[in-house]
Amino acid sequence: MPSADRSAPSLAKDQTSGGRVAHWPVFKYAMRLPIVIWQGLFFIAPLIFMVAMSFFVVRNYRMTEDFVMKNWLKMMSRDYFWDSYALTFGLATLSTIVVMTVAFPAAYTLAFRVSDSTRRWAVFLLIIPFFTSYLVRIFSWYVILAESGVINAMLSYIGLGPYVMLNTKFGTIVGYMTLTLPLVIILQTFSLANIDRSLIEAAHNLGCKPWRTIYRVILPLARTGLIIAAVFCFILSFGDFVSPYYLGGSKPPTLPILIIDTVKSGQQWPRAAVVAVVMMVTLFAVAFAGIASAYRRRGS
Amino acid sequence: MANALVEFDSVVKRFGDFTAVETMNFTIDEGEFIAIMGPSGCGKTTTLRMLAGLEEPSEGQIRMQGQVMNQVPPHERDTPMVWQSLALFPFLNARENVEFGLQMRGVDAATRRRKALEWLDRLEIGEFAERDVSSLSGGQKQRVALARSLVTEPKILLLDEPLSALDANLVIRMQSMLTRLQRELGITFVYVTHSQSEAFAMADRVVIMSRGHIAQVGTPKDIYRAPANRFVAEFVGRNNIISGHVKSATAKTVTLEGSLGTFKLNLGERPKPAIGEAGQFVIAADLVHLSASRPKSENVLECSLISEEFIGSVVTLFLEAPDGSEFKVQVQERELADMDLKHTDKIFVRWASERAHYICAG
Repeated sequence: MPSADRSAPSLAKDQTSGGRVAHWPVFKYAMRLPIVIWQGLFFIAPLIFMVAMSFFVVRNYRMTEDFVMKNWLKMMSRDYFWDSYALTFGLATLSTIVVMTVAFPAAYTLAFRVSDSTRRWAVFLLIIPFFTSYLVRIFSWYVILAESGVINAMLSYIGLGPYVMLNTKFGTIVGYMTLTLPLVIILQTFSLANIDRSLIEAAHNLGCKPWRTIYRVILPLARTGLIIAAVFCFILSFGDFVSPYYLGGSKPPTLPILIIDTVKSGQQWPRAAVVAVVMMVTLFAVAFAGIASAYRRRGS
Repeated sequence: MANALVEFDSVVKRFGDFTAVETMNFTIDEGEFIAIMGPSGCGKTTTLRMLAGLEEPSEGQIRMQGQVMNQVPPHERDTPMVWQSLALFPFLNARENVEFGLQMRGVDAATRRRKALEWLDRLEIGEFAERDVSSLSGGQKQRVALARSLVTEPKILLLDEPLSALDANLVIRMQSMLTRLQRELGITFVYVTHSQSEAFAMADRVVIMSRGHIAQVGTPKDIYRAPANRFVAEFVGRNNIISGHVKSATAKTVTLEGSLGTFKLNLGERPKPAIGEAGQFVIAADLVHLSASRPKSENVLECSLISEEFIGSVVTLFLEAPDGSEFKVQVQERELADMDLKHTDKIFVRWASERAHYICAG
């Protein structure tokens, strides 16, 4: 019957609108709950525990709850800790500078010099390295960098080498780049490709030479994306354990290696926690400073 | 009289298989305000971009002051352009934007600053010199863009639909400002637009383009009153086009016979057509007279009223001719009120034969 047909949907509509009023707040909070639980369980809680742990003591190879400053005083007063900190910070900074510099011409080409389909393929190819375990990719460098490896074999033909590349800082940087270069190229490409082309043309139109346009117009326009890329690169390198361990020879140790060593030698979890907290604070500071400067309103 | 500043000599521009501009020949004089007008995709913006060096012609030559410009890169030309999007640098304030072109030319900081402020003052936005461009209104941004382009004192200014993002009132004000500026500076303005009102209000000469070709070049009045072909007649708006065959022709007039009757019309400057040739003529909607009874004169068309469009002092009537085609008439609202056409089903349209213009068929 037509009348029944008409009333049925209207009734259903009333129900939904009524239901929306009654259940919406619950639904809204239910939607937010997973991310809150996830963050609380796997980020906030471990972080609090780690900070707390840095004040615990180890007695007879057993960690005991306590609140002492001993771990902090000990780590902070040791030269090897600060040497390690300086090394890690320095290598991560150097790696970030090298990666950002090497990535820029590639990203510039992908963003401005190739067709859209070429750019899509290139981004796809840049994602492929992440299909393989990072550890596997690091081990594959052995074949290339070893004293009897590919590079030294080629150099020997022209009477050079062999050069020691494994277990050096150079090896560590190569490892960091393996981890970060594809990601940085992708991030840089996107931030460059989003630039309004008419601004670049306007610069040329006003007499700006192509090279000058890069630093007068393109870099300022892409600043946010480029800083985010650099922050990512630094964070990944600073916290990486695999490259300095396997390609850098772990001597002298970077902070992640120091954490492992501290835990292994005498179950010093609290002192390892001190190192970890220092690393966290450093990363927070770098990320915060980076993001603040990325979104800073123009000053002068 | 005036010297040619820019010459397009058989210029062709292709993008792959697509021909954007086809064998273009025309000259832009020094100190002229020229508008290039046409529907989107007609090649008007490509033409402008070739002038700025942002596109290179596929064939032919573009000469400026006699010098071939084809290979000259954009940053070595002095052909500043005002973009549709304005393309102001968001990371610079208004004054720094204006200074940019001077800085690229190696002008020292003090002179740069002085000139930039002079130009901002001249365009009445001096008080916003240190403001971020994002905090300026549409009209203010427009002025910053103009100042940025004019501060280097170029011989030519290129404008790519610069007013299309502004509201109607502001467009009128910017138009008068642009016209005044161009007269005062005496430099050439090349203004690309799809808007007839903008082009006709400002330009000394208008170039009408259609699918990569130039359809007509002339003063706004020429184009409005004597469209050269059907495309221009239709593009320019309220025109009626009637087809037929040439029945007889003298040096000055043509008699055209078609399904709607026999009409006498003006030949203008055009060569005399052959008897029997298919032809068309244009009669502008505002050049006809209406009456409720059949007038005793030539060029009469009996129509019925379909609808009317009231836009203030002028009313457009949409009539239907006996063959079913539409015929548009524009009259003053006050004249229409006196005529009392509401109660008649027949409306008679007549026009003087010198008002109708013969155009080529096709």
